[in-house]
Amino acid sequence: MSRHVAPHRWADAFAGRLAEAERAQMDLHAASCKACADARARVGRASDSYGSIRTQAAPELPWDSVRARVHWSVSKEKRAQSQPPRRRIPHLAWAALAATAAGALALVTNGDLPRATEAPIAELPHPVTAPPEPAPVVAQPAALAGLVVRSAGATSDGEVMIDGVRPADLFARRLGAGTVLATGDGRVDVQFGDASAFALGPHSTLELRRFDAQLIELVVDGTIDLEVAPRLPGQRFVVIAGEHTVEVRGTRFRVRREAVATTIECRHGLVAVRDRSSQIEVGTARRVQLSAGTAITADLVVPMSVAELASLTETDPVRVPMWSVDALVSGSAPLEISTVGRRDVRVDGIELGLAPLRVRVMPGRHTVEAADPAGRFRRAGWVDVAAPTEGATPARLVVPAEPPRTAGIAERRRQLRAGIDQSRLARCTRSIAKAGMTDTYVQVELAVDASGAVSFLNVIDTDLPSATASCVRDVLADVRFGAGAAATWREKLDL
Amino acid sequence: MLGPVKRDTGSSAVLGPADEADLIARCRADDRGAHDEFYHRFRRQIAGNLYRVLGDRTDLDDLVQEVFVIAFRGLERFRQDARLSTWIYRICVNVALGRIRTRKRRPPPIGVNDLDSAAADPSLVERPETPERSLERHQDQARVYRALETLAPKKRMVLYLHEIEGLDLKEIAYLVDSNPVTVRTRLFYARREFYRAIAQDGES
Repeated sequence: MSRHVAPHRWADAFAGRLAEAERAQMDLHAASCKACADARARVGRASDSYGSIRTQAAPELPWDSVRARVHWSVSKEKRAQSQPPRRRIPHLAWAALAATAAGALALVTNGDLPRATEAPIAELPHPVTAPPEPAPVVAQPAALAGLVVRSAGATSDGEVMIDGVRPADLFARRLGAGTVLATGDGRVDVQFGDASAFALGPHSTLELRRFDAQLIELVVDGTIDLEVAPRLPGQRFVVIAGEHTVEVRGTRFRVRREAVATTIECRHGLVAVRDRSSQIEVGTARRVQLSAGTAITADLVVPMSVAELASLTETDPVRVPMWSVDALVSGSAPLEISTVGRRDVRVDGIELGLAPLRVRVMPGRHTVEAADPAGRFRRAGWVDVAAPTEGATPARLVVPAEPPRTAGIAERRRQLRAGIDQSRLARCTRSIAKAGMTDTYVQVELAVDASGAVSFLNVIDTDLPSATASCVRDVLADVRFGAGAAATWREKLDL
Repeated sequence: MLGPVKRDTGSSAVLGPADEADLIARCRADDRGAHDEFYHRFRRQIAGNLYRVLGDRTDLDDLVQEVFVIAFRGLERFRQDARLSTWIYRICVNVALGRIRTRKRRPPPIGVNDLDSAAADPSLVERPETPERSLERHQDQARVYRALETLAPKKRMVLYLHEIEGLDLKEIAYLVDSNPVTVRTRLFYARREFYRAIAQDGES
């Protein structure tokens, strides 16, 4: 044999794919050729190692964590398909809002902050072991007041009705005992303490039957998400949902009353649920679904899935820091944000969910960002909010529609195809064509702006050798585009 | 219907066709218990497939998660024209391909090959083996993965499936969603490049 043995032929030989005569000829050559003998040894060792690679066991992984993440991802997608996505308001962003609001309040009040008028809502929760005793009678419990801090829905006022009418001054109204709130397609968030707020979901009705420092009694039909600061001894917080009563100690939970059943989901803390004859407790990350007319039993309480907990997190009611009813009524104003279609928005870096919406802010300049279809927030503009005055219309910012991103693709694609220097391209692929490598391809992603400049050009997939792929990329990079619509697209070129 | 791939899948138990159909139906009905069963049954197979194809365990849990998410998402469209384990293997191959492409664009800052660490393969620890032989085997495996790294992603995949896993062209074509003729062409060039790299490894 006059020529060296190609290394892959040794692999064929080890796999028994060669005739005996050919194998003998190769061995004969290797006996007199050190390079081929070395190649044979290396290929032989590699072939021997395939078996050990094939029998490699899977490494141990944090299986429970992976499973939780899988369930999270899958259920999140299903939720997104069934309802418009909502965003959680991050804690850090709250800190930013707190700082902003503190500064603004200090300016409004000259640094002399009024104190909250209602009773403090603090201290540790009590464990509920038995149906609680009625609260001791207090001669004149201090009345509480709630303020709307956000409304959202198909229209920015959330189609909220107070006592049967849609008020023009939704954000100026103090909500007290006896108030009845009702929502249409939207939702409304009401704050009534430093760490206490509720969000009334779409198509729901809520009556503030008792609303004072001693007893808060809410009657709900529909969905309500609550975040309640721990109760002091003697303070009670009760949500009545049909025949069931939910007694709160200090917690974040949701009550959903529907025609056939009432569901109570508790994200943290503890709530006691009772009917006329019995009581059960629903603790952290637990839920209970009670059908109408069915007796309450402890075995109805089941753990919540990761997806269900995430769903609760996403519907957290909005709260403003430095809670003080008087200061907020006189020193804050609603900001209305309108969008074309429903888009997530941020105000001063704080995610507020889907617009159109109104949110309570302090006077001053506020930056508004809106999410594009990919979920990236882009600056939509800023708006100056003045201190509230009688009859003034709320500050308003209209977020312009996103320009369609695909409008110019067809034209840009045509320009690319027409602009490729085919002779240069052929030079790039000549060497591999000579080697018999045909039917190759390269897939690129490129962006062209309105002036025709290429913003980026990346080879994202190819079966070409790297030098050839680089050569092809250079050819594509030299294509000249004219002015026109901006476009970003992927192009697969068969070579 | 394409049967199960020839290699050991690592599943905790082999499912019969009826059980498989039942599991798929329950998963499609959003039965949480079925999802858990699916996860427990296939998690080691998936992790093993990805681990062997890629040759390292960097972000392996993320990739396993990705495979499961794709599988749960795609169960609705799974026509059962192949065994469930084969279909999952196909997802693994695609996820691994994506990973290889990403890695080629952004090479990891540290050496990627940690295959065959003793902790990763308890079955090998039980087998009596001299330290010298263990080191040799480790070096041989590392050489194979170094040579694989020199190939384009699609070539690497068909070469791995053919040479190491021992699958035939038809099986590989199903797994990489191509036709056997294309696979044969790709394999032809891949073998030449791969064994040339093996032969030259360590020459310098």
